[in-house]
Amino acid sequence: MKRVGKPVFFIVLLLIAAISTLSITGFHTWYGDMKTTHIKGADDIRWGIDIRGGVDVTFSPPAGYNATKEEMASAESIIKVRMVSQNITDYEVYTDFDKNRIIVRFPWKEGETEYNPEKAIQELGETAWLTFREGQTPDISDPGNIILEGKNVVSAYVGADTSTGTSEPVVVLEFDTEGKAAFSEATSRLVGGYISIWMDENFISAPYVKQAITSGDGIIQGSFTVATAKDLADKINAGALPFRLETDNYNSISPTLGQGAKEAMVMAGIIAFAVIAVFMILLYRLPGAVAMIGLTGQLALVIASISGFFAAFPSFTLTLPGIAGIILSIGVGVDANIITAERIKEELKTGKTLDGAVNAGCKRAFTAILDGNITVIIVAIILMGAFGPPGSFFAKLLTPFFFMFGPSTAGNIYSFGYTLLMGVLFNFVMSIFASRMMLKSISRYAPFRKPWLYGGEKV
Amino acid sequence: MTHIDFIGNFKKYCILSIVLVAVILAATIFVGPQLAIEFKGGSIITYTYDGEMDIGAFQSRVQELTAQEAAFQQSKDLASGIETIVVSLPGSRSLNADQMISLSEGLAESFPENNPRTVSINNVDPTIGAEFLAKSLVAVAVASLLIIIFVAFRFRKIGGVSAGVMAVIALLHDVIIVYGVFIIFRISIDANFIAVVLTILGYSVNDTIVIYDRVRENRRLMGTRAPLADLVNTSINQSFRRSLNTSITTVLAMVVVTIVAMMYNVTSIISFSFPMILGLISGAYSSICIAGPLWVKWRQHKMNAQAA
Repeated sequence: MKRVGKPVFFIVLLLIAAISTLSITGFHTWYGDMKTTHIKGADDIRWGIDIRGGVDVTFSPPAGYNATKEEMASAESIIKVRMVSQNITDYEVYTDFDKNRIIVRFPWKEGETEYNPEKAIQELGETAWLTFREGQTPDISDPGNIILEGKNVVSAYVGADTSTGTSEPVVVLEFDTEGKAAFSEATSRLVGGYISIWMDENFISAPYVKQAITSGDGIIQGSFTVATAKDLADKINAGALPFRLETDNYNSISPTLGQGAKEAMVMAGIIAFAVIAVFMILLYRLPGAVAMIGLTGQLALVIASISGFFAAFPSFTLTLPGIAGIILSIGVGVDANIITAERIKEELKTGKTLDGAVNAGCKRAFTAILDGNITVIIVAIILMGAFGPPGSFFAKLLTPFFFMFGPSTAGNIYSFGYTLLMGVLFNFVMSIFASRMMLKSISRYAPFRKPWLYGGEKV
Repeated sequence: MTHIDFIGNFKKYCILSIVLVAVILAATIFVGPQLAIEFKGGSIITYTYDGEMDIGAFQSRVQELTAQEAAFQQSKDLASGIETIVVSLPGSRSLNADQMISLSEGLAESFPENNPRTVSINNVDPTIGAEFLAKSLVAVAVASLLIIIFVAFRFRKIGGVSAGVMAVIALLHDVIIVYGVFIIFRISIDANFIAVVLTILGYSVNDTIVIYDRVRENRRLMGTRAPLADLVNTSINQSFRRSLNTSITTVLAMVVVTIVAMMYNVTSIISFSFPMILGLISGAYSSICIAGPLWVKWRQHKMNAQAA
């Protein structure tokens, strides 16, 4: 029989303590004011929009519009550019090409004080089609009067117009070759007339053409502030959507509401863990105490798998159901330890020696834990496949079952599946290996050799 | 050690479960399930405001702007301390982004002193909602199927397929109980329902498997001669303390979650953790009192049929 060395208990204990501390605090180095994250801690966890607040919206083209795959793909990439230009970097965008839907999820910006989901949704779905048209009041439904449009703009930026003596913000446009030619042709033809500039159906300005402009740059004046000028430049740079995106399906939550739920959930988790600890130690004494060390390690590893422990690995969005998944995996972990502890108790009752009982108990409990955990893993994988983003490994795996459904908006349930899967996997590591090695090693120390400590009779 | 004759008492358990299922069925017919807008589509908007709000005026203004009879509910979020009005539009209509803007702008104009702001918007297109529900049901079906296959394989020595089927019957029993909790306590059926059902699915089958594992082991120890009823009864009794203690621990943890969520009035957690408590109890009960005994009855029935 393989014996576990005496110091093993302390080595495993130290390892678990180290992982637990690191998974909470993370590890950062400072170079002056530059913070480099080597190991992400609990503070780096990316909370889902149900906790930190944000918007979840499903866009689709106008009813009756038959969008091509290319159009949907270009709409998706334009939405991404719009997100980045608004400084939102941790957004999620999925496109369902079968049902022509684009699902967009984004949290509120850090430090944002104005929460206006309606406006944010409307702006994202805007076509943002910039047009230069002939005349002061052209018919905007007539494409014949278009001189050039947004796609002819190579770049747009905010400049200052000093011609009037004051410094007024303007948007400077740099045209491509086609745009330059069209602009030069139109301005030479329309000297003394007007060219009007439109964003979708909104009028921006109608400058008077004094002379032909052949330089290739255009300027949009329109009593802007620096902020509104930048807004317009960003929109032009992001490009126009092939169609207006409409929505009947969106959710939004303000950060204050979710924050309260998060605090309640974290507090509930801590109290529940303490209650379990008391219960386990009262019921199973030494194996109970060792089990709690293992469960602490399990919890730490789950946190690490969410925060993206090593900076190189991506983090995972944690939602409220995700926290529930962690709690459930702790329940599964408790069960694994109870099965083992009960088995050790039983073996002691049949008159086995302490070492024999511990070994036999661990061995006999194994198949039950293995089979039980695998079934929970099956459920977790189904959840991840059914409700995860399209293109993820599990989603592809389960395509035969879910092919008729589009990517669902239930990102929250995906998070539940992920934390449950990770929790059960780490439960294997902790309950099957760490806890058992600790128990076998500590049971070799004289003070811990009383059968009573393992649920046997008091000698 | 206590010894309970689970096989002998099977009739009692059977009657109890059938009565429960019948009650739930009756409640479904007479009360009906409350589908959340996540599944049936619709619109729920939560507003917050400053100072004292004239609720009556607010209600009539909302109905004017949306041209619909909306339902109103005032509440206070204890966690953040903000007062809110929850507006639910009737039926499964949802508002598009433009309609939503004119609603909030109209409210802001009419109540400048209260500065009404949207806290949360839940606006679901009915087709997307229905698709989500269908997908969830398929997820439950696929999970059940895979569990039967897995149990059939792992327990092939003791007649795996029938053991798998019985495990799934016990599991469906628990799913019905969970569903009943949602109906009887008037909790609307939303994504939390799916999360609870899938959790109980995993938990209940885990519970049953631990008992099957004991049967598998005892079959080896007691030999093939031992009567099936004795074999299963001994196995259930041997693992009874474990089933009980695990259930007490997990239920206790969920009770803590429910109490804390109630203190903070976080309904999204209560509607998860409360049905979960009853589901966990049902899961433990069905594993002990339904899956094993039912399996014995089925095998005995088959053996009698073969003998005859």
